[in-house]
Amino acid sequence: MSWIAPSLTIAGKDLRLELRTRDVIASVGLFVLLVVVMASFSFPTTGEGRDAVAAGVLWMAFMFAALLGMGRSMAIEKEDACMDGLLTSPAPRESIFLGKLTANLAFTGVVELVILPVFVVLLRLAPAGGVPLLLLATALGTLGLVTVGTLFSAIAVNTRGREAILPLLVMPVSIPVMIAAVKVTQAAFAGGTGEGTVAWVLLMVAYDALFLLVAIATFPYLTEG
Amino acid sequence: MRTETLPALDEGLADVRPTARAPYRKLLGTATIVLFAVLIPLALVWAPQDAKQGDPQRIFYIHVPAAWIGFLAFFVVFVGSIGVLRTGKRRWDDIAASSAEIGTIFTTAVLITGPLWGRPVWGVYWTWDPRLTSYLLLWLIYLSYLVLRGYVPEPARRARYSAVLGIVGFLDVPIVYLSTRWWRSEHPTQFVFERGGLPTEMLITLLVGIATFTVFYAYLMTVRVRAGRLQEAVDEEVFS
Repeated sequence: MSWIAPSLTIAGKDLRLELRTRDVIASVGLFVLLVVVMASFSFPTTGEGRDAVAAGVLWMAFMFAALLGMGRSMAIEKEDACMDGLLTSPAPRESIFLGKLTANLAFTGVVELVILPVFVVLLRLAPAGGVPLLLLATALGTLGLVTVGTLFSAIAVNTRGREAILPLLVMPVSIPVMIAAVKVTQAAFAGGTGEGTVAWVLLMVAYDALFLLVAIATFPYLTEG
Repeated sequence: MRTETLPALDEGLADVRPTARAPYRKLLGTATIVLFAVLIPLALVWAPQDAKQGDPQRIFYIHVPAAWIGFLAFFVVFVGSIGVLRTGKRRWDDIAASSAEIGTIFTTAVLITGPLWGRPVWGVYWTWDPRLTSYLLLWLIYLSYLVLRGYVPEPARRARYSAVLGIVGFLDVPIVYLSTRWWRSEHPTQFVFERGGLPTEMLITLLVGIATFTVFYAYLMTVRVRAGRLQEAVDEEVFS
């Protein structure tokens, strides 16, 4: 498909920029670590119901990480009229979206993969048999969150509110995928089993697929004028 | 000072003023008043008192119609949003924005009347029942839609941005309902519609309530859409 190559070029540009400056991953990574530490002080992280609290804290942290990273990633395009450059290039607009999505997934994914083991150690969790399920929940939940977030960050960056408005747009709409991700993560922390885990996974798959299609279809309208 | 600018505005507005639609709007307004005059005695006196819940149950006759309008209005936002993206016409944006504002008011009414009924009947103002939870989220999505509009000053851009949010938000509602239903599946709270079949008087009153609120919504839409057009005409006149 003619979308793929330009998307990869755009994602490559973002990743190269990130490798040279380490702006996003360093600041977001430290931020998420701080959220996890703060949450450990704020919530009971031992005893009964610890898995449920841990899953919630983890996804709050991931949500903040994704929001911060996506806001920054779109703000970069705004500087020096970079977005105008992308729009005048022969790349289809769908590719601009897919490129930004890929880069955002990479940033958020790297931060998550670094923070996950730290989190498991800090909260003394034992997801022994649940690791594949934990990774699956992280992947599907992040995809949903970042798909909606990348679409809305193209809106937020052009409003008066800038980054401040992005959470207001993303949070209400992403509640279903957050609930599903928390439920599956909870099941993973509990050792890999949980009631209705398959249904939750399918809900995330459906959410991701639906909003990926909607985002690809609507993103071109956000870049006009 | 005002009177000096008015004549010029008036000329500009002449072609915008939908005089042909005025009788239509008046008809809807009159029908709203008449229907409310019928609904209130039906709901307060004619419909029998509920055996288990007593008089608080009567809030049902405005709560359920308002909830219906909350969904209907969001569907109109969705249709208007698609219209904006397909045609780029500001008319569709007027419809979507008007419906979102009115829908927010009805949704707020639902979230106020619900707890007022819940307290005497359930003993609590709020419970994380799937219907309540998804309605709260619907309300939050409405609010984020309106906040977004406030943050984008340019009309064409505002129309497209809020259209994307309108589409995503509308498609999100069924998924929200499904997820909140599973989320609380361990606490079955089906007692809202537990009783089988409403008595005829209750059903008729409910249907009259739904009709009243639908006509009321249609009336508010005509007023609000017209206000939007007049605003546009004023903007063009003042800023051109």
